Amino acid sequence: MMKNFFQKVSNTEFLPMSEVRKIKIILVMAFLLVITAVTIPFSLFFKYNLLTIIIVLIVLILGFILIFALFRWNKILAAGQISIIYTLALTVFYTLGTGSFYAYLFFFIALTIIIFYQELFSYLTYGTLVVAIGVYYIFTNQAELVSAQDIVGSVYVYACILVLFYLIFLVQILYNEKLYIDLNYDWVKMNRLIEKYQDRSLTYLVELDKRQKRTPAYEDVKYQKALGEIAIFLAEHFREDGKDILNVRDLYIYVHERGLKRVLDNDEFSVSTKKIANRLDKYLLNSRTDMISMIFNFYTKFRETAPYRDNRYEYNLSRLAPSHDEQIIAMALIYQYLANEVCQEDHWDPSDKPLSHQEISELLTSPEMEEFLNAEQIAFYKDNSDLFEKHLRRKS
Amino acid sequence: MPNRQKYVFAEIEDYRELLETKHLRSKNLFVITISAILGVAVLTYMIVAKYPLQTTLSLMAGFLLLMLVNVACLAFGYENHYFYQLNQYVTSFGIFCLAIAMIFIFKSPSMVASLFIAYAIAAFYQDLKVMFISNTFLLFSAIMIMAEFPEYLDFINASQESDFAVPFFFLVFILVLSISSYIIVKQKRFFYNQIALSKETEFRNIDLLIDLETQVTGRTISLSKYYDNILAFTDAFTNKIQMDNIFVEKIHIMQDLENNTPYPTMHEKYPNYSKEEFDRLDDLLLGNHRKLLKLAMKINYAKDIKIKKREIFSETQFKSFNHQSDSLEIKILAFAVFYTALRRGNAAMRPLTEEEIYNVLVYTDYYYYIDPSIIRIYQENNQVFDDIVTDILGKPVK
Repeated sequence: MMKNFFQKVSNTEFLPMSEVRKIKIILVMAFLLVITAVTIPFSLFFKYNLLTIIIVLIVLILGFILIFALFRWNKILAAGQISIIYTLALTVFYTLGTGSFYAYLFFFIALTIIIFYQELFSYLTYGTLVVAIGVYYIFTNQAELVSAQDIVGSVYVYACILVLFYLIFLVQILYNEKLYIDLNYDWVKMNRLIEKYQDRSLTYLVELDKRQKRTPAYEDVKYQKALGEIAIFLAEHFREDGKDILNVRDLYIYVHERGLKRVLDNDEFSVSTKKIANRLDKYLLNSRTDMISMIFNFYTKFRETAPYRDNRYEYNLSRLAPSHDEQIIAMALIYQYLANEVCQEDHWDPSDKPLSHQEISELLTSPEMEEFLNAEQIAFYKDNSDLFEKHLRRKS
Repeated sequence: MPNRQKYVFAEIEDYRELLETKHLRSKNLFVITISAILGVAVLTYMIVAKYPLQTTLSLMAGFLLLMLVNVACLAFGYENHYFYQLNQYVTSFGIFCLAIAMIFIFKSPSMVASLFIAYAIAAFYQDLKVMFISNTFLLFSAIMIMAEFPEYLDFINASQESDFAVPFFFLVFILVLSISSYIIVKQKRFFYNQIALSKETEFRNIDLLIDLETQVTGRTISLSKYYDNILAFTDAFTNKIQMDNIFVEKIHIMQDLENNTPYPTMHEKYPNYSKEEFDRLDDLLLGNHRKLLKLAMKINYAKDIKIKKREIFSETQFKSFNHQSDSLEIKILAFAVFYTALRRGNAAMRPLTEEEIYNVLVYTDYYYYIDPSIIRIYQENNQVFDDIVTDILGKPVK
């Protein structure tokens, strides 16, 4: 189990945010457990009376149990927040209990735990609170923090370093927040675009199936049987009677036949069955679902592809063609492609539906084109739109 | 679980590096600014505290040198992005050296914490190698101070437990910092990887779409007609602006390239053009999965894509068979559907063999797309999976 966890930590770059958040909670819990364990003997040296120490330690232990319980109940965000509050409580306990240098170090530990979560709001609230307590601590325990031959204003140096540490990480979190939002936006946009390609690819695939008189997988009895056997084999590892999974398979096939809406509208189905049907929707094989996307993506691994070049993912015309004459020729080619080839989704006839001159003009002057064409190229198109239409449009 | 996963598409490694380097420049700018502020603060303090001029100047020379190296690396980075990478190592090393120098100059416990500032500045780079440099410096500096220069932590009113507590909290702090930095660096990589992965997925999906389109419509682009039209178009355009048609030669070259004319013939026919120029023009062709065809398709499909704010960072965007909201039965069924579909194939996709599926599912990022317990069962019993499907669907042919 430990080995698996450490391997998971070392492969964090493959995990989505929710999984990484879980890892963070486990690691923070481990640190808090160690720190709390060490706090028990340390607290004997603190300025509190024994009763206060016992009460605080009981509260800390209960707090730790609460974090653990929230984690077990999959309330990851709440567990994270409680772990930060727990760290703050420990910080206050140290701050009021001792004036030593190690309590000063504790402020950095508390800040690092908050930084670990990389959440701007948490850092701004709890982080600021830690720094405020830290500055208060420095100025109230000046005598304990100076050495025999210390520098002038060393107390201010302590405070400045703590504040600077906080500010540097604040700038870093702000920078990361902006960067991750931008990257995520690009990623979501790209996913949407890929889904559009796959939508179209699926239309063609259905057409090919029809032409080759192939039964779609979900209607193929052999496929259904193989699917059932695999599902039973897997389910038997979790419970004695794995055959119950066949009910889910049958529902899955039924949703293909009838459609999700009819299943949801049917009063004969229980709420739990409808819930399962709803969850199965993203795994259907008869429309562009997550399942179809994953099958397509997996399959593309086994198709031949061009060798990698630095401009493999470059689709900006200015960067593909630095000179103006090449850009003009390329634009003329693009125009002809849009005017002549398969460009529009037509459910009645997937084979042919090119764009009209007006549609091309709207497309080439739309804001989405900024990714591919610069202002100069778009202006060129607008100025010479009549020539494009006269010489390059589709001729019947 | 295999010790080291790889991404399903090897091509993304280079692009991810490119993305990281692209953002290194802005990170370097932040680091220069913070270092400069730090330098000014230290200088002000030394002047106010009336430190000897020689000490002040030597420390400032260190800061200045760091700035100069940064500026130089940023300038050279335009030409070669490896300078940005070099800069992050040099800066991390330099900033720790300055922190240690400050500890020795001021000989104050308050200055020991300047090591944390150095760590915070280096952490800006979010790089594993930089993290290693920082951790090594921090750990050895802490050990050095406690073992060799304990007088720097010689407090007037030290408490009894301090002898144990100070090294302990130093150690805890270094550990928390290291693990936190490690996970944050990996998290950043996740985002870069996802972008790179989506670019490669797009590249391959366009290829698939082009092939399916050709198969279904049975049409190929009438390139000769296209180029004739372009000649007429450029004639009209050059007439309009009253100049000679300068496009003719390049149009002919592109036509020859579309016809897959070998390079020696091209070179003979167009001696004024280099191999690089032919390669560049090759990207501007429409035939045979060329770059411009992909650009034209992308232009067509890119319209009307609107992203809502709530979709950013949404887990639903991450396609997998390991959604938290799905019950175990649904996860089992989803995996079974996926596996069986790959083994069955379809009109355009050949059935995949067990070995092909196993190698991707177990050794690449796909491992994490599936519930851990399910993928473990598959990993340990893949032969059973193979037997079940082969019995029912027959053996796939490669």
